[in-house]
Amino acid sequence: MAKSKSLVIIIHEEKCTGCRICQLICSSIYKQRFCPAEAFIQINDAYELTPKITFLDDCILCGQCAKHCLYGALELKEVEE
Amino acid sequence: MDFYGYTGKILNVDLTNNKISVENAKVEDLTQFIGGIGMNCKLGAELLKPNTNPFSPENVIILGVGPLVGTITPGASRIVGLSKFPATGAIANSCGSMSFGFNLKQAGYDHVIISGKSEKPVYLLILDDHVELVDASKVWGQDIVETTNYLWKKYDGCGVISIGQAGENLVLGALTLIDKTSTFGRGGLGAVMGAKNVKAIVAKGTKGISIANPKEFKNLYKKQIERIRNYPQRNSWIELGMLRSLPINLMLTAKGEKKKARQASEKYYLKNLKKRRIACPSCPMADKDILEIKEGEFSGLITYTSSVINPLLMFTLDSLESANQAVKIFDLIGRYGLDSLTITSLFEFLGRMYDKGALTKEDIGFEWKRDYKTLTHLIEIIAKREGSFGNILADGWKKLAEINDTIANEMLTIKGLDVIFDPRFLRLGTMEFEQVVNPKGAHVASGGSPTYVGAGGTMEKFKNHFKRMGIPDSAIDRVFIPPLKEMGIHVGRLTRYSEDWYTVLTSLGLCARAQMNRFWGLELATEFYNAVTGFDLQLDDLRKAAERSWNLLKIMNIKEGFTRKNDKFPKEWFKPLKLGENELEFKDFFGGTIITVDIANQLIDDYYDERGWSKENGVPTQEKVKDLGLEKFL
Repeated sequence: MAKSKSLVIIIHEEKCTGCRICQLICSSIYKQRFCPAEAFIQINDAYELTPKITFLDDCILCGQCAKHCLYGALELKEVEE
Repeated sequence: MDFYGYTGKILNVDLTNNKISVENAKVEDLTQFIGGIGMNCKLGAELLKPNTNPFSPENVIILGVGPLVGTITPGASRIVGLSKFPATGAIANSCGSMSFGFNLKQAGYDHVIISGKSEKPVYLLILDDHVELVDASKVWGQDIVETTNYLWKKYDGCGVISIGQAGENLVLGALTLIDKTSTFGRGGLGAVMGAKNVKAIVAKGTKGISIANPKEFKNLYKKQIERIRNYPQRNSWIELGMLRSLPINLMLTAKGEKKKARQASEKYYLKNLKKRRIACPSCPMADKDILEIKEGEFSGLITYTSSVINPLLMFTLDSLESANQAVKIFDLIGRYGLDSLTITSLFEFLGRMYDKGALTKEDIGFEWKRDYKTLTHLIEIIAKREGSFGNILADGWKKLAEINDTIANEMLTIKGLDVIFDPRFLRLGTMEFEQVVNPKGAHVASGGSPTYVGAGGTMEKFKNHFKRMGIPDSAIDRVFIPPLKEMGIHVGRLTRYSEDWYTVLTSLGLCARAQMNRFWGLELATEFYNAVTGFDLQLDDLRKAAERSWNLLKIMNIKEGFTRKNDKFPKEWFKPLKLGENELEFKDFFGGTIITVDIANQLIDDYYDERGWSKENGVPTQEKVKDLGLEKFL
């Protein structure tokens, strides 16, 4: 029996530049405006030595944030369940 | 009305009366002046009375962000600050980046006007609709890094503009740092904040920005971001940051300092200094640095910079023996809120004057040595205004010039600020020339053009670039007719259009650095503007708005007493520059023509002509004022 596959987003915090493009994309898709505060992905301490990236419960793992990340901080991977 | 891109709100903060109010922007003003730098000029012209003392409550600080800021438009996070600057006496705009402008927009404001003077030290807190002047006694006296860290911890995700002790002590050249990274306000914005008892400005926004035409915007963004993503040089920009734009190691090699050159190399930077790359919001070309000294003297020290060139430029000083020392000194300067470019020029100049006998131990109050310890001492006495010499230096180049004629004649300044771009080293491009004609004096930003990417381009490439910048076809031919044919391009005439293109970018909120600017043209910028705002402006509307803004800035400064006599090339440029065993002469952009005083004057004449200003005193003609609709500002 074939195993089903699902998407996961792997976070590489050390590559995050704090550009917030992931949050801008997310909020534009789901909130119809550019509003990082309302994005389902949150970046804390964006300009500290290690930013903290978290996904809110409402995130449906559509992967758009990872597709638009320009610095390799979010990696979209297909994994077998 | 509902605004898109714009918030349509101007925040007024009266420090004297602790009064905060919000006014609505007028659509007519937005379409005439666009936003950012342009709207700052319009608001400044209405509010600033001529001959205002920069440190008086009557001076204002106007912060402005353009209509594209707060969206995902690539590289749209510029903030512009207008004030009357103490080091020059000019009314000028200064630009910065990082997250403050983005946060201000998200909080719901296009502009902030700060007037008056607070009785006690405060910081201005802007959290959406909650705007408050907060007691700053906990951070007054602390440096910029300490202040920013304190505010970041208190309001996670906020953008911070902060001053250091130099600003508090009214050091004329004190600037501010945004998010302890981006320099903002060369020429004394930090001191103006200090005079107003404002330690910092904090913004954090959660309101969001809506787009008028999301479908059109999506298409434009998709195409633009793909162009940038596929740019072959993008990876090396992100790897090396600003080091890619000016290889300091070559300058050190030219001086015959091979050991130091190795420490300013790309390899050394990547292995020993680079900690993490950071970006302004929406930027696909991250080039800001968190640096860490990884081994040796001062190991473990961490510092932020908007350009790694700045600490490495300090390394060109003979007094510094290692890159670590340069980074340590740079960190100290940033913490106090001083200007690293000024300190570098000043230390080199004072050493030269001391060697000549134009300055003595009695003048300066200590034994002069070209070493790390003396440089540190110098920074301390300026920032803290210690002793009579510390006070003289804190009062800037003009005060220093009063000591004697040798000092006055040999300093390399324009309108009271040290020269940044010396054409004897880089030849005469628009960035070098613009320092001369801008009332602001010597500075970095507003003269960008194809000439900042170095000589060697074909005339056809230049022409394409000129068209991209929005130079009208009717003017392009004139830009190719310099005073002498062999000069190829007319840097004087071209500078007018470089300033206008810079004004378009900075009115919209777009980054003007070469590596981002290269992806923008007037046509594309207009398309983005219309998609975001829902307005229907034409290319010529933006072009004219930029010209209108620049002329209004000029009118304000004419009222301050600036005339043609202030637009002077430094005398020192006409003498060879000694660099190691080399002697560099003042040459045109292509290096084939020596620039004489007569040619220099011709370039200024023609710059005025291209602007529609009188040759005699550099004043906009009546026709020009009428054409731009600026009569009411005369």
